[in-house]
Amino acid sequence: MGLESALGEGFLTTKLDAVVNWSRANAVWPMPMGLACCAIEMMAFAGPKYDASRFGSEVMRFSPRQSDLMIVAGWCTYKMSHAIRRVWDQMPDPKWCVAMGACASTGGMHRSYGVVQGCDNFLPVDAYISGCPPRPDSLLNALIKIQDKIKKEHTVLLDK
Amino acid sequence: MNISEPHQAIINDLQQKYPDKVLDVKEHAGATVIVRVNRDVVHDVLETLYNDHHFIYLLQVFGTDRFTSENRFEVIYHIFSLRDQVRIFVKTWLEEDNLVLPTTTDLWKAANWQEREVYDMFGVQFTGHPDLRRMFMPEDFEYYPLRKEFPPLGIPGSIQLPSTTPDTEED
Amino acid sequence: MLEEYLPILVLVSVAIIVALVFLLLSIFLGPKRPNKWKLSPYESGMDPIGQARERYSVSFYMIAMEFIVFDLEVVFLYPWAVRFTQLGWGTFAAMMIFLVILLIGLIYTFKKGTLDWDAKPLNKPFKS
Repeated sequence: MGLESALGEGFLTTKLDAVVNWSRANAVWPMPMGLACCAIEMMAFAGPKYDASRFGSEVMRFSPRQSDLMIVAGWCTYKMSHAIRRVWDQMPDPKWCVAMGACASTGGMHRSYGVVQGCDNFLPVDAYISGCPPRPDSLLNALIKIQDKIKKEHTVLLDK
Repeated sequence: MNISEPHQAIINDLQQKYPDKVLDVKEHAGATVIVRVNRDVVHDVLETLYNDHHFIYLLQVFGTDRFTSENRFEVIYHIFSLRDQVRIFVKTWLEEDNLVLPTTTDLWKAANWQEREVYDMFGVQFTGHPDLRRMFMPEDFEYYPLRKEFPPLGIPGSIQLPSTTPDTEED
Repeated sequence: MLEEYLPILVLVSVAIIVALVFLLLSIFLGPKRPNKWKLSPYESGMDPIGQARERYSVSFYMIAMEFIVFDLEVVFLYPWAVRFTQLGWGTFAAMMIFLVILLIGLIYTFKKGTLDWDAKPLNKPFKS
């Protein structure tokens, strides 16, 4: 198609991007990497009161192969970081990551030799949430920010 | 703050069986007694307590770094007698260059993991232990974290983070 | 007469088209960045231990086989059950003979121990 040779801001390309990004943003299936107490708030985020499925996160897929978003909820120890990184590697593209809570963002209250001071030392994090634990509303806010980020993704035809 | 009767009876018994080895007796919190013994008789004292006074319940074995120049480390055994409802802490001081103690896994199976933890955190070797390896830190960790000279945030590079470039690295 | 089956054809073709559209969309629009760890088998973040195909107890196979046989028996019982009242005593006798034959089969498998869940292991060396 002549479309692919003129990969500028053509009308069809941007429309295709808009459609694809909209579809991806409204069906972000999280993979909960619930390591500690923040996992409880993540369960609340998926529960009926702070319903995540009204934003498209219909199911929490516990398999990395079936999910788009990894929510790291809780502190990562050095020993666990290898497993987390392996699970992250096993997620297919496109994928995003949310560091939920103080411990996943910066190590939180665990200023210790056994706890990784922030999971961004080994994962590419897209959104950080502060709080100990953050309210489920904060996690919803982060999900919305991830959706906004997805809607601004670059041309899907270049992403091969 | 006196030592109560059941505790005093046990201490008298120990002092009679191991003269000059029971070095210090302190009452603690109105409910228990901390007895410091010489390091040579630790296992025998614990065996006496196990056999004669029914201290069949080991709650914890833990260590302390006193950070003094002599007798730097101590190992404390927290045991309880179910028959007499008596609680005792038996402790011993160890020098930094002779961190060896006989194991108590022959008395209490619970001591297995407890002593592994003391080994992992302080470096105290327990002779006769069936499986003395590190408990919390990875096997190839080179330091003993709960010693006072180990920084709270750890030593950079002592423990590995995973590789973040899955395409190029082998592992 | 065949026109009555047209809705089924429409249903099947719509299903096939929808599935094909999803597949083709992800083939043409999805990113493809395989690497060694992305393709590795999933075992909760650990290195995989052991084979994927484990041996499992033969009781599952036996139960599945029994199920097929008795499920087919039920399939034969259904038409008789639908027209039970109109079919009379002759059919009843025939069906009873059918059921008795299959009942003898059930007693045979029961005595043989195929329904016994804790199967005795055979005297073969165990390869772990």
